[in-house]
Amino acid sequence: MSEGIPALGPVPRLRLGRPLRTELDNQLSLTVVARTAVPRVELHLLVPAGTVLAPVPASGELLRRALLTGTAHRDSVTLTGDLHSIGGDLQVAQDEDVLMIQGSALAEYEAELYELVADVALHATFPAAEVAAERVRLAEGLRMARSTPHFPAGETLRALVYADHPYGWPTPTDGQVRRCGAPIVRELHRRRFRPGAAQLTVVGAVDPRRSVARVRRAFGDWRGRGGQGRAPAVRHRPPGPLTLIDRPGSVQTVVDLAVSTPPIGHPDHLPLVLATTILGGGMASRLFRNLRERHGYTYGPRTQGDSHLRDILVVSGAEVRTEVTGAAYAELLYELGRLATTDVSAEELEGAKRYVTGTRLIGVQTQAGLAGSLASLGAHGLDHRYLETFADRIGRIGAADVRAVAARHLAPGRAQTVMVGDAKRILDEVRVFGPVTLRRATRSR
Amino acid sequence: MGTVSPARAATPVPVHEPQVEVHQLANGLRLVVSPEPSSPVVAVGVFYRVGFRLEPQGQTGFAHLFEHLMFQGSAHAAKMVHWDLVQNAGGVLNGFTRHDYTAYFEVVPSSALETMCYLEADRMAALDITEETLQNQREVVKEEVRVNVLNQPYGGFSWLELPQHAFSRYPNAHNFYGEFSDLERATVADARRFYDAHYAPGNATMVLTGGIDPDAALAVVERHFGGIPARPVPPEPDLSEPLPTARRRVLHRDPQAPVPRIAVGYRMAPFGDRAHLPLTLAADILTDGRASRLHRRMVRGDQVLLDVAAGPNFPIGDALDFRGPALWTLEATRRPEASAERVLQILDAEMDRLGADGPTAEELVRAQRRWLSAHYAWIDSLRGRMTVLGTLDAVHRDPRQLNRLPAAVAAVTPEDVAQAAREWLRPERSTVLDWVPGTR
Repeated sequence: MSEGIPALGPVPRLRLGRPLRTELDNQLSLTVVARTAVPRVELHLLVPAGTVLAPVPASGELLRRALLTGTAHRDSVTLTGDLHSIGGDLQVAQDEDVLMIQGSALAEYEAELYELVADVALHATFPAAEVAAERVRLAEGLRMARSTPHFPAGETLRALVYADHPYGWPTPTDGQVRRCGAPIVRELHRRRFRPGAAQLTVVGAVDPRRSVARVRRAFGDWRGRGGQGRAPAVRHRPPGPLTLIDRPGSVQTVVDLAVSTPPIGHPDHLPLVLATTILGGGMASRLFRNLRERHGYTYGPRTQGDSHLRDILVVSGAEVRTEVTGAAYAELLYELGRLATTDVSAEELEGAKRYVTGTRLIGVQTQAGLAGSLASLGAHGLDHRYLETFADRIGRIGAADVRAVAARHLAPGRAQTVMVGDAKRILDEVRVFGPVTLRRATRSR
Repeated sequence: MGTVSPARAATPVPVHEPQVEVHQLANGLRLVVSPEPSSPVVAVGVFYRVGFRLEPQGQTGFAHLFEHLMFQGSAHAAKMVHWDLVQNAGGVLNGFTRHDYTAYFEVVPSSALETMCYLEADRMAALDITEETLQNQREVVKEEVRVNVLNQPYGGFSWLELPQHAFSRYPNAHNFYGEFSDLERATVADARRFYDAHYAPGNATMVLTGGIDPDAALAVVERHFGGIPARPVPPEPDLSEPLPTARRRVLHRDPQAPVPRIAVGYRMAPFGDRAHLPLTLAADILTDGRASRLHRRMVRGDQVLLDVAAGPNFPIGDALDFRGPALWTLEATRRPEASAERVLQILDAEMDRLGADGPTAEELVRAQRRWLSAHYAWIDSLRGRMTVLGTLDAVHRDPRQLNRLPAAVAAVTPEDVAQAAREWLRPERSTVLDWVPGTR
């Protein structure tokens, strides 16, 4: 470091106070945090309705898309109109494990927001015509997604890493989308939207005690037991040959290496957070320094974690220009191998610790950020204490721990590898590294 | 059953106004501070009044390439030091280039404020540009263009392509990401010239939001930036552009695209014009959600579109971030069986209807409340508040607009929207970009 640069102070501790946590008579669990900086309220309703808990292909995706298209009391236009009248917004997010209704409104309409979300959760009707329209949109959306180079990379990686495990299920085909009718979606909604399996998180300019009363009024009639469900445990599979997906005319090659690593809560998880941060977690990371700043091979090399309830899919990679595909792949393998076989420096380790604790602190400063964090933790059975103790637990991790988890989970010999690029220009150079399975990119099915 | 009765619709909305302090240093650097003393976080932004529009002829893409060079080291902070320090602080950073400014920011725990000011001051005072870093970042930028444009379906739709046809003068109508031939031609001397012309303290606004009190903020900024000598500031550019008088049609073929899309760019009213906020709300009335007019008519009713969205300076900007001519752009995915002509015919009819009858009171109130809620969400984030204050100061020299906008938006009437639509959302003021699958 140069002389004269002012020294950094300590990263402040993250303190959230004590959220109000309770459970309604129908077993709906509720967390409320008062955050009065702006007169808004944020709400997250989490239900176990992820895509892998929807056994009929495309039914999970259609549940998400058609959830806001009608209730027993409102058609889709009325629902949106009522929502916008309170300055409101509703989004439905979904991953493999859970579905999350994310709502917000001006704080003075807190009660109206609960009433609207409850109407959707309890009384969504999935009108046949609306589901049909969503089928068209889903099919078109998938066609568009398939035309990007990242889509076949992701789908193939998941199939290789997970095999028959539901996390590896392929994206629905056009035929599967066409065959999934409204009754299947209604049945899925009925089975998964149960108060005892749901978690509601509220953050905003609210009086928490009054919020509980308002939530009880809106959601108190929600009935039914069960609804829980989760994917089976993930087993590691030894990697097969590198898969090269031919995308003729591509000016870049997507290079991705993926491994399944333990989920949040596992003892290896936090050392892995540091290992992946040092490897490819930002602009000071090894991949960024090497592939971008030293070699100029790529715009954005990265290591990303796709977090599930049962594992975290860690993908390291980059989009590199076609001419340097082999050279860039060699650097990726080098960095993965180095992390698994040598200790990270004290400076790198300290920097990564400060980065992950500081960015978590920053992430929960807004109403929306805190609501999202608490709701995601809730899916793992964790709460605000996880955030408050995060810095201490990160602080205790040493370089040997990082190297051990890198060797155990991130080593290049454990990774499934996929490339998407112009095969006729890169195949020979990729074969240098070992056997290659060549596939064609499918544009639509 | 509706939750919101008409009586409720008249309830006044509570007012939330963040404190905004404005200072100017002797060397011309402007400082905007919006304190939240209890916050453990601070956002630091530096906005320079130079964007895509001011890059020299024959040097397309230069403003954005230069943004990259600002992270390649300065007199007392070698390459990588800036990134290492922000990461070690526990924070995040980025830079972004827009039509009329280039911004750099850090969001960090407030304990790192002094360090961030040092780094920003060092690169404002003495940026270090070498052949090696220029060559490296030229390659990085070319990969950025490949990943975002050349190797993607719909790459450059519509922000990159539409202005090149909707405008006629170079500042507004060139390739903002840059032709590869121009990027390859850029020299260290070009970069130094650009830096000297546009990166003077008098051409910059510094913004601090979050955990700091205003007096301390002024002191720390004086300490680090006060010693930077004043440098000449460029004259106000001429960005003027004649209004179009006939609809222009452009066909673009994309071999990677599976379905057709269409963009329609109307000329947008400038900030402060009486049509400016009405046009901002008109975008929501027309396209925001299932209750919006074009969703009901074109997505659900006539089923000519699969989706539609619109806004001022959409999709890479917003209603506040331009000082030259700009577009009010609509983007849609067209059903292959519906022709572009049919789409435009219905669109023109809907614009006529909005101009003739205006929105209903309920449509307007919804759009106003959505705007207010989004405004609050944006300023709840220190980064969001820093961005809007920096934009308002660098582009309009008026950061206190932050707290005047809610009342101005609330004051818009249905007739204001109708009049704005009649004046601006006219076919002859628009450029249409048909983006279709295929090679020829």
